[in-house]
Amino acid sequence: MLKDITLGQYFPGNSFLHRQDPRMKIIASILYIVAVFLCKNLFSFLFITLFTVALVLLSRIPMKVILKGVKPLLFILIFTTVYNVFFYQGEHLLADLKIVKIYFEGVMFALLMAVRIVCLLVGSSVILTYTTSPIMLTDGLERLLSPLRKIHVPVHEFAMMMTIALRFIPTLIEETDKIMNAQKARGSDLSSGGLIRRAKALIPILIPLFVSAFRRANDLAVAMECRCYRGGNGRTRMTQLRLHAIDWTMLFTVLLCGGAVVIINLYSPGFSV
Amino acid sequence: MAQPLISVRDLTFSYAGEDRQEGVEGDAPAVLKGISLDVEKGSFVCILGRNGSGKSTLAKLLNMILTPTSGKIFIKGKDVTDPAMTEDDMFEVRRSIGMVFQNPDNQLVATIVEEDVAFGPENLGVPPEEIRKRVDGALAAVGMTEYARHSPHQLSGGQKQRVAIAGIIAMLPDCIIFDESTAMLDPQGRREVMNTIQALNREKGITVLHITHNMDEATLADRVLVIDGGELVLDGTPRQVFSSVRRLRTVGLDVPQVTELFSLLREEGFDLPGDVLSEEEGADLLSRYLKENEKSQ
Amino acid sequence: MKKIELDGVTYRYSPGTPFCKTALDGISVAFEENKITGLIGHTGCGKSTLVQLLNGLLTPTAGTVFLDGEDVNRKGNDMRKLRFRVGLVFQYPEYQLFEETVAEDIAYGPKNMGLDKEEIERRIEMALHFVGLDGSLKKVSPFDLSGGQKRRVAIAGILAMDPEVLILDEPAAGLDPSGREEILGGIRAYQREKKNTVILVSHSMEDMARYADDLVVMREGKLEMQGSCAEVFAQAERLTAVGLDVPQITRLMGALKRRGVPVRTDIFTVEQAKEEILRLTGGPRHA
Repeated sequence: MLKDITLGQYFPGNSFLHRQDPRMKIIASILYIVAVFLCKNLFSFLFITLFTVALVLLSRIPMKVILKGVKPLLFILIFTTVYNVFFYQGEHLLADLKIVKIYFEGVMFALLMAVRIVCLLVGSSVILTYTTSPIMLTDGLERLLSPLRKIHVPVHEFAMMMTIALRFIPTLIEETDKIMNAQKARGSDLSSGGLIRRAKALIPILIPLFVSAFRRANDLAVAMECRCYRGGNGRTRMTQLRLHAIDWTMLFTVLLCGGAVVIINLYSPGFSV
Repeated sequence: MAQPLISVRDLTFSYAGEDRQEGVEGDAPAVLKGISLDVEKGSFVCILGRNGSGKSTLAKLLNMILTPTSGKIFIKGKDVTDPAMTEDDMFEVRRSIGMVFQNPDNQLVATIVEEDVAFGPENLGVPPEEIRKRVDGALAAVGMTEYARHSPHQLSGGQKQRVAIAGIIAMLPDCIIFDESTAMLDPQGRREVMNTIQALNREKGITVLHITHNMDEATLADRVLVIDGGELVLDGTPRQVFSSVRRLRTVGLDVPQVTELFSLLREEGFDLPGDVLSEEEGADLLSRYLKENEKSQ
Repeated sequence: MKKIELDGVTYRYSPGTPFCKTALDGISVAFEENKITGLIGHTGCGKSTLVQLLNGLLTPTAGTVFLDGEDVNRKGNDMRKLRFRVGLVFQYPEYQLFEETVAEDIAYGPKNMGLDKEEIERRIEMALHFVGLDGSLKKVSPFDLSGGQKRRVAIAGILAMDPEVLILDEPAAGLDPSGREEILGGIRAYQREKKNTVILVSHSMEDMARYADDLVVMREGKLEMQGSCAEVFAQAERLTAVGLDVPQITRLMGALKRRGVPVRTDIFTVEQAKEEILRLTGGPRHA
């Protein structure tokens, strides 16, 4: 059933990473991405790979889930690897296939690029999306951006909208399913005919869906008013995000990792990109 | 007598001034035509009426979602129709008169149950530690503690309504209005919600205004009000109200089957009371009556 | 005569995933022609799955669905035609309205069937009549109607397809008593005239007792009981044991019996109860 699909990639758990402050995780994931891009040579890549593996182990997310997340990228991975192997111009010729020449540098480059893509995806999702619930993520964003309120950016409203959207996505997916079935029962035909006919066949689904979304929005607005909602002013929060020493260690670890990458880049020999 | 929690005097309302009447030509008909009533603190009042009788409009007027066309509403002795009411006063009314709606899907805001329950107190600016206490207390009161970290879409209809109730309780209201909150639920969900409502009324002393057209639910109340065509047509205990079988029929409502049977038998000349509600009570009366008549025959 | 039946049908949602759920578990049940059969059971007992299997919106994981003795999921069977023969009204059908006028919305199904204009017009009139809506509403936008009227328009949209089997999932949910009576009464009048097969899903035992001829009781994806209303309601204890209700009047009769009054217990309407009491006392008590 559609509604059973977990949204985002949040994987519930109670690991060290799950318990981290969402604000720190947002910053840490940005720093991590920078660190990955700073990697220049074999050793720094090796280092970042080890670091990423450590993160995965720390998050206690099953390998199966991680691999499933990488799967959609498989095509891009293969494509860029093949492209780099065949078209990278280097000095050390490995093989001459007449049409294309394969260089040692090309193979290395392809390998490192693949590692970079996988690290980017796995690392950032382990730090952020797998281990942070959508609501914590929204919360973190709201609080990180709250200084912008001083220049009249509606940060609270934006976060509230995100929360409501996240809350209603499963409801609306279910509703779409229901309306589609109801119209199918009246003989609507979504799978045959040309483009225009198919587009027309969507009308009986889209109109009820919009009508229902508006009705829900109206109901929700009234319900929120009844619960004394009056925007972000004077509002408190139940979950207080307090930064503990441990939250800073997370940030410092990623910072150190970035620093280490830079140092390794500078002092270690070998192939660099 | 103590001051009533809610007092309504000559309340009228029509959607004329509101922007809701699409497709209606001319003057909008009055939805409420001069209603006066008092609701005592701690009572469990059921408002019955067919669809479109004005019962939901009354509820929305009581917590200031709508503004009356004329008439007065007093909440805890304070005139809330007074133009001098400030916005803060209005939010105080909404806090004290909580409202649970019909569609369980359209009143939960957050993606996690406990976050949703916290929504009201957060809006009121309650300190975080206090919110935590209230949320835990409210979830316990509706028996949903074990679902605190669930997402609303994983819950059944009855469970969602109980979360919605918890969200209101966390604002520490004096009264909760249930605006057809059981209408979309299956029998299991109805039972859950009705048990919760009764417990809140008895154990926490929360005043309950329950709007429904389900007769069985109305028999649980202390007092039943019947509204039709924007007017209050019957007011009394469930026994008094349901004994008016014919009157209820004319306003599109029904009575419990046992009450109906007793009414039919009375028409056949049986000397039976007209205010019987439950089957056990009915069986007692009927079996005694039949035995006595056997003797006399 | 059997009109539509399930033979050893199993249905699983999302098979092969962690979300896999068995909704129907080898159920065999037949629905009779020219009868209103009530389908009852808890939420989650598989009722909704069952009705969607009957009109081909779902395909059984195992087992066969027969309509007039033919497998509906056989190769080459036109599923759209099947849906015109087996009409399904979903719960809260008013949320599927989309056309500009009531008449056009009701005509959506018949148009998809490829009927000609006069026939569609005739079908609209017929459907409006049975749901108790005035012909003057034909040109009105369905979105301007009251909730109860919208519900009737949506039901009319299926009636206008004149299906051989009509399935309604909680057609009276959320309506007040007089609204329930009008819609369910209209459906019964329709069935009595067309003599087709009607399957009514409802949680209200009082409504079932009033409008259904037969009952099918489901429990956890399996058939629990099947028979006439009198047969099923006479087994009040068994229904209560599976967490279902019986009409209050049936409970009254049970309570009388327990108090030693020799009443029949297969009674499920107030009228029957009155007749039974009159039988015991030998007629009215008019002085």
